Amino acid sequence: MDKPLELKTGTIADAIAALKEKYPGAVKDDSRQGYSGIVVDKSKLVEVATAIRDELGFDYLSSATGVDYFGISDHMEVVYHAYRTSGGAALVFKAQTGRENAEIPSLTPVWPGADFQEREIWDLYGIKFPGHPNLKRILMWEGFAGHPMRKDWKEAYYEEEHKPFGSRWPGGWVHRAEELNVYGHNVTYPADLDLSKLNDASEEALYSGMGLGVNVTQLDDETALKVDRLVVNLGPHHPSTHGVFRMVVTLNGETIELLEPVMGYLHRNHEKIGERNTFLHNMPFTDRLDYIASMSNNLGYALAVEQLLARGARWQPPSYRAEVIRVLMVELTRIVNHYWAIGFFLNDLGAFFTPALYAIAEREKILDFFEATAGSRMMCNYMRFGGVFKDIPERIRGVANLLNDQVRDFNTMDYLTELINDRIPRSIDELDRLLTDSEIIRSRCIGVGYLPPEMAVAYSCAGPLLRASGVPYDVRRAEPYSIYPELDFDVAVRYNGDLYDRYLLRLDEMRESVRILKQVLPRLEATKGQNVFGPAQHTPRVPVGESYGRVENPKGELGYYVVSNGIGEEASKGPQNPWRYHVRAPSFINLTALGAMCKGHKVADVVAILGSIDIVLGETDR
Amino acid sequence: MNVLNEWAFVGVFFALSWALPALPIVAAVFFSPKKANAIKLQTYECGVETVGDTWVQFKVQYYLYGLVFLVFDVEMIFLFPWAMAYERLDTFQFFAGIVFIILLLDVLVYAVKKNVLEWS
Amino acid sequence: MDVCSINNIARCLVNSGFDPALAQFITILLGVVVVASFPLVVVIFLIWVERKFAARIQDRIGPNRVGPYGLLQTVADAIKLIAKEDITPAGADRLVYNAAPIMAVMSVLLIWAVIPFSPIHVGVDLEIGALYFVAVASIATLAIMLAGWSSNNKYALLGAFRVVAQLVSYEVPLVFALLVPILFASSMSMQDIVHAQSGMWFFFMAPVAGLIFFISSQAETGRAPFDLLEAESEIVAGFNIEYSGMKFGLFFAGEFMHVLTNGVLMAVLFFGGWLGPLVEQAPIILGPLYLFAKSTFWYLLSLLIRNTVPRVRIDQLMDFNWKFLVPLSIVNFVVIAVLLRLCEALGIAPAAANANDFVANIPQTLVLLLGNAAIAAYVLNRLRRAGREQRLAEAGRTLAAVGEKAAVAH
Repeated sequence: MDKPLELKTGTIADAIAALKEKYPGAVKDDSRQGYSGIVVDKSKLVEVATAIRDELGFDYLSSATGVDYFGISDHMEVVYHAYRTSGGAALVFKAQTGRENAEIPSLTPVWPGADFQEREIWDLYGIKFPGHPNLKRILMWEGFAGHPMRKDWKEAYYEEEHKPFGSRWPGGWVHRAEELNVYGHNVTYPADLDLSKLNDASEEALYSGMGLGVNVTQLDDETALKVDRLVVNLGPHHPSTHGVFRMVVTLNGETIELLEPVMGYLHRNHEKIGERNTFLHNMPFTDRLDYIASMSNNLGYALAVEQLLARGARWQPPSYRAEVIRVLMVELTRIVNHYWAIGFFLNDLGAFFTPALYAIAEREKILDFFEATAGSRMMCNYMRFGGVFKDIPERIRGVANLLNDQVRDFNTMDYLTELINDRIPRSIDELDRLLTDSEIIRSRCIGVGYLPPEMAVAYSCAGPLLRASGVPYDVRRAEPYSIYPELDFDVAVRYNGDLYDRYLLRLDEMRESVRILKQVLPRLEATKGQNVFGPAQHTPRVPVGESYGRVENPKGELGYYVVSNGIGEEASKGPQNPWRYHVRAPSFINLTALGAMCKGHKVADVVAILGSIDIVLGETDR
Repeated sequence: MNVLNEWAFVGVFFALSWALPALPIVAAVFFSPKKANAIKLQTYECGVETVGDTWVQFKVQYYLYGLVFLVFDVEMIFLFPWAMAYERLDTFQFFAGIVFIILLLDVLVYAVKKNVLEWS
Repeated sequence: MDVCSINNIARCLVNSGFDPALAQFITILLGVVVVASFPLVVVIFLIWVERKFAARIQDRIGPNRVGPYGLLQTVADAIKLIAKEDITPAGADRLVYNAAPIMAVMSVLLIWAVIPFSPIHVGVDLEIGALYFVAVASIATLAIMLAGWSSNNKYALLGAFRVVAQLVSYEVPLVFALLVPILFASSMSMQDIVHAQSGMWFFFMAPVAGLIFFISSQAETGRAPFDLLEAESEIVAGFNIEYSGMKFGLFFAGEFMHVLTNGVLMAVLFFGGWLGPLVEQAPIILGPLYLFAKSTFWYLLSLLIRNTVPRVRIDQLMDFNWKFLVPLSIVNFVVIAVLLRLCEALGIAPAAANANDFVANIPQTLVLLLGNAAIAAYVLNRLRRAGREQRLAEAGRTLAAVGEKAAVAH
């Protein structure tokens, strides 16, 4: 470090200018049409990244992802989005490498939060990261042939590059899976099945890292007795891993000595499918990420694509009413999600379903409203580029679901008013009374799973996990979107960074959401009759460029990095399909800190810590 | 009933309380399907093949509790006759018992001080 | 000739020409069958009660399809369990593995041999009934330990080790609490203990011991918040993870029977068992009725706790036992022994002649109650102080964190 960077103002342009001055030659503007940020020479990447973190103050690495420009310029690049935890826009920087023997230095020494994301890039793109402490595949298994996100990797039964596939339309070949695989014949094992051969190489590598196979017997200093360590798998098929998440733990008695998260059991290469889809196809597909909070997922994707569309000529921004409805839906989703999170966190602590059912009962009322509006309770598929696809209905009718043999039929606004002003606050208070002062909950939660604020930022944790550690970082305030700037609410923050504070923070956030919703209601009333959706755009042609849309999802910052690009003529017309569609999944990245939080705790605590992170495997594994 | 009869009852009871629970298990043998295969008979470990030896030399902490318990359990047996004969005890015998219990309490204090009862 | 009834079967049989020894044997066998099958039948109903009760707590309806009010649900479940494939995992210790569920039920059944149902109906009124209870109840510990160990499964193993620590530890306060009724009754016979309460129920003389007995028997059964043995959210199902079909069913039924047995023991030891108005006139009806009314209270209390609180952690569980319950139960026992002696010395204790008189018992009860209140007050005070210190420490921690944050901002 010769001389520190000098900043005149805090703007991104200023930061880029300062970087270019300090590293002439190594830092260049990304001059491609529709792109922003800088391209950093990969030999200087770690140095520049350190300067970005330490001298420019971009201490929070939100997202790191790869893009393959096969056919366009035949290189691959890794895109980083760094933010300041004090708020503001992103500093986007990229490092490029050739497609053969792709290598980019690892940024884990600078941001430990890059750990899982770099592993994912290695897994899906085959870019090596020298300097990474544990560069293994993360979503696919060790020994998988190829790197599936590369453009030249074709899946089995490959048909065409882009949807809509010609073979499916018209009169495509549709058959049901059970015709090919009749029940009863679906599981047969050869008689000479050798179980010892089932363990593949990746399992062995995993276990040897956990101290199995290595001599695990150590002398316990204090008692001088021989103690064997036990290597146990918690998950994928476990009641409290919230899906098919797996933790391999090394136990000494009941104390965790090592913990290695293993994921990918629900991996379906969401992003590859997303690249085959048209832009609009991906909207219902985002529902399947965090299926507890589909409305928020929709919004994030809509924002990302709208940023691109806004560069085109025929673009109409969403109407005010559409924005109001979006915020209504998103905040209701936050409440739904936190009910769920608190309820099942208590289950993880060992409660016998009572708190969970109390919480879920209220959630159902909100889902009734979602169903009446979007037609579906969980997979809402409600938002569109430029609005929402349908206004909220006049009345909520529950034809299929009777109450005392009566069709439930409410005026929607009355229903919402009662829900927001009365039912939800009451049930939050009820949960509060039931749980907060319980002696067992306090003794199980306080001081467990401690995550210090600097670590939370370094590990790129987001959402309740970050804010419970005392970092008041909320995208709704840090980089506001929709109508949040005009709404009056506080960013909930707690300072102890343990399980108890995460639980309390979720209660706080629900109360803040109610506060927001109370301001949304009069706006909803005032904008009645406004259009919620501009001219229908079924297969919009999206101007070339990149965009990063991010929203504060209930589980943390959800980001979509979308690149619109194509080969030849496709690019000039504006592509119908995204060239790159990346999801910055909060539950995936929040897990980076799991191992550090669990060390030294008991088996029972691990389950609770995982519950307090609040993951959904649909999003983690994608 | 005389004493012998009482124990005969307990004896019969003992035999029957093995037989009664065994009954449904035996019944199940006739009704239940038997379609075992290697995968099904695997040990359950959350759907993954279990690795390493299960019957390992485990942390000693669990057994320390067992040892402390043994001290208490054996000593407590002596308290039963003392409690039964309570009304017939003279002052000396009464206080002998009390001292015995206090010594027992002392064992507990000793164990706590020795950090034997500290779960690490 | 006598009218034959349940009270005089032996005599009846001899009169009708049976060999006296054979008659004796038949009598015993009949008694055993009746007493032993009783809890097995009741448990079917209890599972329904538990499910309905939990459902009501959780705003649900609960079983309501099979039979009126879903009463036959458990029967349907039992049939299903019998028809389920019984899987013994490869690598399990087969003999131990198969014996463990039977032992789990057996240990509970054996307790019922000494439970007095009415003044004249008791399986067998052993002179050492209480000691017999302690002995057979620990078979359950053994059964669970064997189940966990023999399954050759890591979760089961963790469960088994928790058994070693938990079940064994909670036996200490359990036995110390059990000593209190023995002290009062000067007898270990269950029937004598009940008779000794005809003046005053022991719970009013020693509420602390009663509560300790209840708490530690909850832990012995592995019920929430002490259900660490099978902690489903941590070690999946703990010791019974590999069991399927009826063998799992037996563990399940055994647990429910154990909870009921705890309630019955609470009733017998502290709440006067079958005692109640007019019980001498109609022992066969009123005795069991009173007994089960009292034990149902404790059973429902156990359900309420199970559905309300989360689970404690193993280190907290052991600390609670060894640093709280055990010293408390020992001190409580000593205090009661001394106070009882004092009452006799001062002449407050009721004379042997009117020991069954309620009024005569009042002064002594008051003295004991006062002693109990003193213990309780001291303990609660200590707890409150410890709690306050802990809260202050937490508050200090939060303030420090906020202060640090503020310092960074400046």
